[in-house]
Amino acid sequence: MAALFGTRRPSGTSLLGLFFVLLLIIWLIVNLVKTPNDFFTVLLIGITTGSVYALIALGYTLVYGILQLINFAHGDVFALSGLFSSTIILSVLGLDENTSALGIIGGLALALVIIVAFGAVVNTTIEFVAYRRLRQAPRLAVLITAVGMSFIVQNVSLAVFDVNFRSLPPLIPESNVFKIGSVTYQWNQLFAVLATIPVLLLLSWLVRSTKQGKGMRAVSQEPDAAAIMGVNVNRTISFTFALAGALAGVGGLLYLIEFNIRYDTGFELGLIAFTAAVLGGIGNLSGAVLGALIIGLIQAFNEGLSWAAPGSDWTRSIVFGLLIGILVFRPEGLLGERTPEGA
Amino acid sequence: MTTSPQDGALLTVEKVHTYYGSIEALKGITIEVHEGEIVTLIGANGAGKSTMLRSINGLNHPRRGSIVFRGKDITREPPHDVVRLGISQSPEGRKLFPRMSVLENLEMGAFQRRDRSELRSDLERVYALFPRLSERKQQRAGTLSGGEQQMVAIGRALMAHPKLLLLDEPSMGLAPIFVERVFETIVEINQQGTTILLVEQNAMMALDVASRGYVLETGTVALADDAKALLRNEQVRKTYLGETD
Repeated sequence: MAALFGTRRPSGTSLLGLFFVLLLIIWLIVNLVKTPNDFFTVLLIGITTGSVYALIALGYTLVYGILQLINFAHGDVFALSGLFSSTIILSVLGLDENTSALGIIGGLALALVIIVAFGAVVNTTIEFVAYRRLRQAPRLAVLITAVGMSFIVQNVSLAVFDVNFRSLPPLIPESNVFKIGSVTYQWNQLFAVLATIPVLLLLSWLVRSTKQGKGMRAVSQEPDAAAIMGVNVNRTISFTFALAGALAGVGGLLYLIEFNIRYDTGFELGLIAFTAAVLGGIGNLSGAVLGALIIGLIQAFNEGLSWAAPGSDWTRSIVFGLLIGILVFRPEGLLGERTPEGA
Repeated sequence: MTTSPQDGALLTVEKVHTYYGSIEALKGITIEVHEGEIVTLIGANGAGKSTMLRSINGLNHPRRGSIVFRGKDITREPPHDVVRLGISQSPEGRKLFPRMSVLENLEMGAFQRRDRSELRSDLERVYALFPRLSERKQQRAGTLSGGEQQMVAIGRALMAHPKLLLLDEPSMGLAPIFVERVFETIVEINQQGTTILLVEQNAMMALDVASRGYVLETGTVALADDAKALLRNEQVRKTYLGETD
């Protein structure tokens, strides 16, 4: 964590930063000693929430990497996907807690496939309709358009799914995967982590090892050069939005399994995920995952620990305070690089 | 539009008008490149040299006029199709992919190619031209020196196995010793059978290796002649070769 305040900074601020990190560590240790059971339970919750955040944060970072655009509509695509999954699961597939285990697994797998396609199509359409025409426009114009798209998607969600929260019956048993002392970990929590890991591996393989992924990296580093090497830039951008949308879809479904969701859930969650992406270093895929896990943990520790924890009323202030802190002390994020372009 | 190559012209650019926003950067330029030649475009900053290349490679389509390559009209072709037809470029300022390795950059040059088997021999050819790159293939392109970056930029363009190679200011910002090397390499590539359209500020060196040259001035062709004749031309000597009577 000390790397958060790099050595290139004046010693005054880095000392201040180190001091805060030190305080945080002491706070965690005291809590660990006082209430070890709470500590580990909360740790597991943090990892679970963090993996859902990671899916959304990756969408921000992928799109930022290729267009240098903060796609504010991303969180709303996530919420819309979550709402749509509830319709698929409850109304179309008709799953409930009495469905056989095989039926639930098959049904969720099918819902996952549908929602991945749905998220990809919605996100690609947003890019095609709203952002593509602004390729040559000043950045601010695109940014404002993204804010506008966020409201539009949110209102579509409101119009189609009304103001009520949607949630699922406990499809995945809330029985314990393991129980050590009074530390428990439930199947529905593990499910989120288990579903996230293969998605992350698949994404990493796509970006690192496929031709399309290589094209993406090329466009993000030097778009004109990529074009004259033979990369179809528009198609690559569409592909990136499709990937981001698919991740938002998976995130929406997993979030729905854990929590409840309504038309405006994506707004705040999107901002949290965006903070995670910035914390890790926007444009950096591993950074987005790391940032999301850290924010998931911060949130869980803050809300779950008993000794001197500010409590859930303060979660937002802490998360967005962190955002300001990063932008001031280390704008390139934990894993980001300082590039000559200032990205 | 012309569809048959006239007297063996590989590339025919006819009365091309290209705009940057509302500014007319090319005002009806006509040039021709024949198979096997090195043709150079020289001229001051802002004369339209780079715009000419951007018109050919599809990054900035002309509003009027036509560009025909090997008998095919490519005036409105998008850049990723232009490279597939056989035109590749080392762009001005090199524009490498800084966070990719040297090898990955070279592979990017072959992005459109399907003939995987020949890639190996093309890579060997690039390493033979620039042995330095073979030593540095795993290094990130952004950490190379200017001269080495220029080698990668030219090597990357060669990996497309082009019929026509566009070079935009390959000597810019390089130490004199590297400039010599770059021009030697240009001649070598040409002798291996690649036609070259070379944009240069270093008019002396460019005319030295070229067979023909065009002098551009504010978006028009001011002079077109054999390179040797241009080297002797008094106006060229004064304006571009820095000669004072």
